Amino acid sequence: MTDLGAIDYVWLGVQAVFLGPEAFVLFGIPVSITLLMVAFGLVLGIVVGATPGLGGVIAMAISLPILISVFGFNSDALLPVMGFLIGVMKGSTVGGAVPAILFNTPGTPDAFMTTLDGYPMARSGKARKALKIAHFSSVSGDTFSDIVLIVCAPFLAIMVEAYLDLPEKTALLILSLSFIAAVVGGSAAKGLLSCGLGLLAVYIGSGEDFYPRLSLGTDALSDGIPVTAAVIGILVLGAIFTELEDLWHQARESGRIEVARDEGDQRLHWADIRRILPFVGRSAFIGTAIGALPGIGSTLAATIGYATGKRFYARRKAPDAPEFGEGAPEGIAATEAANSSVSGANLIPVLSLGIPGNTAAVFLILAAESIGGFNPGPSVFKFSTDLNPELVIAFGLFTTMILANLLNWTVGGVFMRSLGVLVRIPKQYLLPVVLLLTLASLYVEETSMSAIWFAFGFGVLGYFMRRFEISPLPFVIAFVLGGRLEDTARQAFSATGGDPFFLLKSPVAAAFVLGAVAIVFLSLRKPKAAQS
Amino acid sequence: MRKLSATVALGLGCIAFGLLIALIWVPFDTDTGLVERSRGRYIVGDSLAPTLAAVFILLSGLMLLVERRDGDARPSRNNLIFIGVMIACGVLSILVMRYSGPLVALLSGADEYRLLRDTAPWKYIGFVLGGVTMICGMIAFVEGRFSLRAFWIALAAVAGIILLYDVPFDDVLLPPNGDV
Repeated sequence: MTDLGAIDYVWLGVQAVFLGPEAFVLFGIPVSITLLMVAFGLVLGIVVGATPGLGGVIAMAISLPILISVFGFNSDALLPVMGFLIGVMKGSTVGGAVPAILFNTPGTPDAFMTTLDGYPMARSGKARKALKIAHFSSVSGDTFSDIVLIVCAPFLAIMVEAYLDLPEKTALLILSLSFIAAVVGGSAAKGLLSCGLGLLAVYIGSGEDFYPRLSLGTDALSDGIPVTAAVIGILVLGAIFTELEDLWHQARESGRIEVARDEGDQRLHWADIRRILPFVGRSAFIGTAIGALPGIGSTLAATIGYATGKRFYARRKAPDAPEFGEGAPEGIAATEAANSSVSGANLIPVLSLGIPGNTAAVFLILAAESIGGFNPGPSVFKFSTDLNPELVIAFGLFTTMILANLLNWTVGGVFMRSLGVLVRIPKQYLLPVVLLLTLASLYVEETSMSAIWFAFGFGVLGYFMRRFEISPLPFVIAFVLGGRLEDTARQAFSATGGDPFFLLKSPVAAAFVLGAVAIVFLSLRKPKAAQS
Repeated sequence: MRKLSATVALGLGCIAFGLLIALIWVPFDTDTGLVERSRGRYIVGDSLAPTLAAVFILLSGLMLLVERRDGDARPSRNNLIFIGVMIACGVLSILVMRYSGPLVALLSGADEYRLLRDTAPWKYIGFVLGGVTMICGMIAFVEGRFSLRAFWIALAAVAGIILLYDVPFDDVLLPPNGDV
C-alpha cells in the first residue's frame, strides 16, 4: 500500500475494529472480537463502578493477565485488550453514580459530590430520574472529552516530534513528573516524596552495567521489581487494606439500607435536558481542561465543576427550586459531566507524549508493553505514506472510545439502573476475595512468588502512604516513566558530547527545567485541598 | 519539650533516607559512578538516576519541614495494629501457599512436588490452603469473630479463581506452581 493519507489511516483504524478477527456471526453479519470486548469492558466497568469498594483500577488489574492469556502476545491482541480496558474505564465512571444516588455511598471517589444532590433526590422518590440525569450528564461529558482527545492528541504529538529533541524530551519528562508531584494530593513535598520513591524502586536491579545496581547482592532484587507488582501493590492492595480498615473501625454494622420508593414522574424530558445542559457544558469543559493535564484526578474536576455549577445555579434558580446539596438535578449534572469528561482528556498526554496522566492510562501502557507492537507516545502519530501500524492502532483506539460511548448512550443507562442491588454485597467479604484474586492474577502474569511478595510489600507501603496522606499516583507514574527518563537522558548526554549542562543549552529544554523547579517551589507556598 | 509533629518526623526520616541512599547505598551497591569515560567519550553511569531519586527524597524531606500544612496526618496505634495483623495474615497465607504442597507431598511419600505441580489434586493444595487462610483470616479479623460463613465464602472464592484461571488455560499455573 502506498501514499497513505490521514483519512486512510482513520479508515484503517475503523476497519481494524469492525473487520478484525470475528467473534461470531449475528444474522449473517460478523461481529468482531474488539467490538465484543469493548461491550464486555463497559459492562464490567459499570458493575465494578456500582460496587462500593471496587473500581476500574481493580477490574483492570485483574482482567489484564486474563486477557493476555486469552489473546496472547501478538498485534491482533492490542485492540481487543485495550478496547476492553477503555470500556472498563468509561463504565466505571458511569457506574459510580449508582450507589451514590441510591444509597449515599459513592462507588468511586469522584462520585462523592454526586451523593450531595443524588441521594436527596432518591429520598424524595426521584431515584430513577436522578440516575437518568447522572447517566446523560456523564456520557455527554465523556463524549465531549473524547472529541477533544481525538482532535488534539495527533496535533500535539506531531508538534512534539517536530520541535523536541532528546534534551527537550528529557526536560519534558522532568517537568511532567514535577507537575504530577506538585499538583496531586494536598502537599507538593509529599508528592515529590512519592515520585522519588517510585524512581528509586524502578532503578533497583536495572541499569546498563553487568552488576544489577542497588540489588544488595540478592537474587530477588537483581532482576528488578516487576512493574505490575509495584503498580498493583501500591494502587490496588494499598486501597484494599485502607478500605478493610475502615470497615474494621466501623465494626461493619451500619444498619439496614433504607431505600425510598420511586414516586411521580421518573422520565427525563426535553425540558429537563434543556435545564441541565448549561451545567453539563460548563463541567465538560472544566473536566476536559483539567483532564488534559497529567496527574490531576477526576475528583478535583468534580469538585470544581460542582462549585462552578453552584455559583451559576444561585444566579438563575427559581425561588421554589431546591438548593444545590438538597436534591437539585443540576448538581448531579455538574458533577457527573465534570468527572466523566476527565477520562478521555486524560489520554491526551499518554497518546501524544507517552506520559500517563492517570491510573487507567498506566494500565493501557502496561497492556501495550506486555503485548508489544504499540508504544504510546509522539512517534505513534507519524503519517508516513508507507503503512505505520501503530497509527492504525491509535485510530482503532479512538474508534473503540466512540464505540464505548455509543454503547454507553444506548444500553449503558438501562444496565446502570438495574445495579442497585450490588451495594448490598458486604465489603468485608468482597475485599479479601478481591485481594486473593488480584494476587492470583499477578502470579498468572509474572509466574513468580517473588512478584506476590513484592506486591504485598508495596501494598503495605501504599497503605502507609495513604495514612500519611501521600498520594500513590506520583509513585506509580514515576515508576512507569523512570526507565524512559534515564534512557532519554543517557542518549541526550551522549548526543551532546557529554555536556553536563545539556538540559540548559536549548531554550525550550531550559524553560521546561525552570518550569519544573518553579512548579514545585510555587506549590510550597499554598497547601491545597486533597485532590486525589 | 514540644512533641515532634508527624510531618516533621517524616521530613527528618526522608532526609536521613535520602542521605543514606546517596552516600552509602548507591556508591557501595553500584559499579559505575555518576558519569563514566568509555572509549574516549563521557557517558551517564548507573549511579546517576538513583542519586537523582535520592535527591528527590531528600528535597521532599526539606520541603516537609518548611511547607505550610493544614493537618498532621499520621498512622495511629489502631492503624498499626490493623496493618500488623494484615501483614501477619498475608505472610502466613503466602507461606502456607508456597510450602504446604511440597510438605504434603513429602509427608505422604509421593514424588517430589516439582514433578506433581501440574497434577490434580497436588497443584491445588497450596493455593486452596493459602487462599482460604488469607480470606478467612482477614474476614475474621475485620468482623472480630470467626464464622463458618467466612470459611465457605473463602472456599467458594478459591474454587472460583481455580475455575477462572486453571480450568480454561493449559499453560497457566496457579501460585506457587510456576516457580517451585
